[in-house]
Amino acid sequence: MIEVDHVSKWFGDVVAVSDVSFRVGPGVTALLGPNGAGKSTVLRMLCGLTPPSKGTVRVLGGDPRRDLELSRRISIVPQQEALFEGLSAYEFVHLAGVLSGVADPDAATRASLALVDLDPDDDRAVGSYSKGMRQRVKVAQALVDHPEVIVLDEPLTGLDPRQRLHLIAIFQRLGEAGRCVVVSSHVLDEVERFGSRVLVMAQGRLAAEGDYHAIRELMDDRPHRVRVRSDDPRRLAAGLLGADGVVGVRLEGPDATVIDTVDASSLRRLVAVVARDGGIRLHEVTPLDDDLESVFRYLVEGR
Amino acid sequence: MSRAVAHAPTRWPIYRLVLRSTVTRARLGALLALGLVGIVVGAALGTGVRGPALVDGVGLVDGHLATGARFVNAFGLSLLVPVTALVFASAALGDPDEDGTMVYLWLRPVPRSRIVVSAAAASLTVAWPVVVLPLAAAAAATGGGGALVTSTVVAATIGLVAYTGLFCALGLLTQRALMWGLLYIFLWEGFVAGAADSAARLAVRTYARSALSDLSGMPLAGATVGTTAQWLVPLAVAAVALWWATWRLARRDIS
Repeated sequence: MIEVDHVSKWFGDVVAVSDVSFRVGPGVTALLGPNGAGKSTVLRMLCGLTPPSKGTVRVLGGDPRRDLELSRRISIVPQQEALFEGLSAYEFVHLAGVLSGVADPDAATRASLALVDLDPDDDRAVGSYSKGMRQRVKVAQALVDHPEVIVLDEPLTGLDPRQRLHLIAIFQRLGEAGRCVVVSSHVLDEVERFGSRVLVMAQGRLAAEGDYHAIRELMDDRPHRVRVRSDDPRRLAAGLLGADGVVGVRLEGPDATVIDTVDASSLRRLVAVVARDGGIRLHEVTPLDDDLESVFRYLVEGR
Repeated sequence: MSRAVAHAPTRWPIYRLVLRSTVTRARLGALLALGLVGIVVGAALGTGVRGPALVDGVGLVDGHLATGARFVNAFGLSLLVPVTALVFASAALGDPDEDGTMVYLWLRPVPRSRIVVSAAAASLTVAWPVVVLPLAAAAAATGGGGALVTSTVVAATIGLVAYTGLFCALGLLTQRALMWGLLYIFLWEGFVAGAADSAARLAVRTYARSALSDLSGMPLAGATVGTTAQWLVPLAVAAVALWWATWRLARRDIS
């Protein structure tokens, strides 16, 4: 349903997306990556909101940038929070239905709002809504015309856990019904719930793609770097050298030992044993690359 | 469940949306206050007229008419009309473009021309009464008579149409439409266009002023354009500006 072929996008001197290719079919696909990875730019290109600088994007066999009728079959939940603040949720979603040419906009609006747990008879302007309610209004307007392709840019932002689960269930149902649902997120654990297919983006490139569990494994198997502060870093380094899973040890400053390992959990036990046996007092054990940014960086540079 | 139909009426919803979005209390209050000032000043000028006025090349004319026409030209066509059009027209497409809500219109199967024309029509709908009614009242308050009131309404409408087209397009061109619009109104139309006939023909004010002069029968400095051009050029300016805005909207990035 979606074909992205060697697509690059740059804004002036800044390369936002670099030579990305992938195919997406029916079902839920998660686009995972840290902020600034190029996810939103890819999603905007899928909807035709911005053209690729190089390469081609085909959605449902057409060019989303040029084919106006295609927009009847594609919907987006944009990342930005702005809505038509003076409208009620009903008016906002109804407008989307009317503009899309839905045959019975009233019924479609009520059904769509009910789907996201919003009251169609609530007269309040969306400007007075909480962040989570606004997010659900955005989802409702995207679903009002039953699009075949639904693109959601960080749709769970601002939602409480119950609302998250509710929306995730909706996405999954849409995917099971044969719709193509592309959801972006920068939260790894969130993606696990979306579905099995994952596209990982980092630094504007496609770092990995495939089954969620395979991606997770790849991330967990990467080398980790840990800094241990102690009263005798040299003896600690000597005790760790050559141990299973340890691929490098170096001293840093007067009290720190920096260890590279392929098995972070075993290392924690090993450090404790070496410290106990050598009479070393440990002050601090700090993972240096456990943030998501470094995970993605590894996926890009480690390929 | 509902299914999409091929040709749904989409002009009025966008028109109503832009109308609701652009009419804010602050905008409406400030511009109505400006119109009210015009009425007060017009009344003050009218009571100050003591007899016929001497106009170069014409001789003695009705003092109320001469004073009223000059006032409508100086206040209405040079300030109230362009500034009101700028405020509403630049916001009609500029506001949704700037705050990101344009995506909700753009990503629907709606011709871009329909979005632009609906926005311009909404802007004109709200600007017209805000401009023309106080200005007509101000013209009447000067004592210039029915001819002055009629010519004021026509000239203001001509100017408003052209400015609305121009400033709608400006709203899509830059996020600083108000600043650039004010520079155009006060620098180009206020100073540069007064310096040479060729430059004056690139100012909307010249056409509105010529219409005011022709219809009221009161010669005005800078009213140098013939009757046909008074009508056609402002319409053409609006049409070309809206065509350009449509072209721009279809090709620009939507954020």
